[in-house]
Amino acid sequence: MSAGAGDVVLRVDWPECRARGLCAELLPERIVLDEWGYPVVLGPVSPALQALAREAADACPRRALHLRPA
Amino acid sequence: MIRPPDVVDVTPGPMLLSGIADGPSLAAHRVRQGPLPEADAGALLAVIAPLAVRGRGGAGFPLARKIDTVLAHRSRRPGRRPVVVVNAAEGEPASAKDSALLDVAPHLVLDGAVLAARALGAGTVHLVTSVDRPWAGAAAARAVAERDDHGIRWSRHEAQARFVSGQARAVLELLSGRSGLPVTSWVPESMSGHRGRPTLLSNAESFAHLAAAVHVGADRYASYGTPQEPGTTLLTLTEPAGPDGSFGGSSGGSGRAGVDGVPVVGVRVVEVCHGDAASQVLSAQALANPLLVGGFHGAWLSPRDVPALRWSNAHLRALGASLGAGCVITLARGQCPVEETARIVTYLAAESAGRCGPCFNGLPALADEVRGLAEGADTRRRIAELTGLVRGRGACAHPDGTARIVTSLLTTLDGEVEEHLDGRCGCRALSTVGAA
Repeated sequence: MSAGAGDVVLRVDWPECRARGLCAELLPERIVLDEWGYPVVLGPVSPALQALAREAADACPRRALHLRPA
Repeated sequence: MIRPPDVVDVTPGPMLLSGIADGPSLAAHRVRQGPLPEADAGALLAVIAPLAVRGRGGAGFPLARKIDTVLAHRSRRPGRRPVVVVNAAEGEPASAKDSALLDVAPHLVLDGAVLAARALGAGTVHLVTSVDRPWAGAAAARAVAERDDHGIRWSRHEAQARFVSGQARAVLELLSGRSGLPVTSWVPESMSGHRGRPTLLSNAESFAHLAAAVHVGADRYASYGTPQEPGTTLLTLTEPAGPDGSFGGSSGGSGRAGVDGVPVVGVRVVEVCHGDAASQVLSAQALANPLLVGGFHGAWLSPRDVPALRWSNAHLRALGASLGAGCVITLARGQCPVEETARIVTYLAAESAGRCGPCFNGLPALADEVRGLAEGADTRRRIAELTGLVRGRGACAHPDGTARIVTSLLTTLDGEVEEHLDGRCGCRALSTVGAA
């Protein structure tokens, strides 16, 4: 999936991530979990989804999910 | 067990390795190259930018662009003064060219670092070698003791003996007194590197190229190589591994039995011109077999493409490979690339720093499946699934590089893998005999 105008991308700080999985519950539109419980990011986040994405990033107990400019 | 070479044969070459017979002293270096020229940033960039001097990571990032970025982000404010880092940590056991350079031509590397530091206004040059190659650190220390570079402070560091120790962010962690493992970064180190300062970090060879270009001049530098890819490049050639898994069998002093019957591990470092034919440095046996280019994170080339291979990045890209750090691993006749890949991937999985979940979990799983393939099970679908799961999902490129060599085995050497699974490659027959 390529980024459109106004999109942001989700980046995982991998050494910080401990597979708690909240991000996938809060943002199933863009995050699924792999077989070990770590997030798989499905693509850039459109403006319509950004409030949810922000919530998912803020909810991460490890602060391992980041929104970055596309 | 896979470990760095005990014996490194260095063959004299056209430019970086041209004067090694005179010894590594500063006096010999100055007789050969003359005094260190003065060059401000503009002058330095004017020389190296058209010569396409590159870093030696998989991406081959142009050194001139790194210098440009450091210049754009430096300032006179405290804590923003640029830093220069010469990276010879060389965590990859199949690489020896940076350590070898520090041993045989250290002042070319140090001249390049001083030229860069002066052009950028950096006051400190950090030199990083590996703790398991103490001879390289000792050579660097001897060379630094000979020098008197006004306004430059040298700082030496020893990286842990790990595959990922040479990764840029791991080196910066080491410099900050931490454990020297890769961490996440959102910006390049040329913008924000050592303690947040703009940092020019490159491998020892790139600094030697910078110095060579300034010393001999752009015209002579460009007389080597091709118009598209001027200059030379260093290669570390690993000849077939012995039955115990160690490297050996290169020319010169290697391949003999070592202390307590442990075979000596040997490699050959050569300097080739971009565009040169691989047949000039590889044996007939190596030319007739699959070739691993770019080291343990590299890609396999098919025996169909090896005889006509040239050391050109454009040519290698067309074959799905890249020179990377210049490690070239050759196979003996009858040596199976599936078994060799299984051996390497098992090692790479054990070398995960264990910090990033997908690498920590995925690489051992991938290694299991590649070993399964070596033992004759058709695990190709699961391997493709796992390479997809680890790629791009770590703080450093270790999972990506490990996925790359496995993927190249399944794609470039698909015919060899079929033969292996059919029992026609000879290696399983051999292992059956060995087990009986």
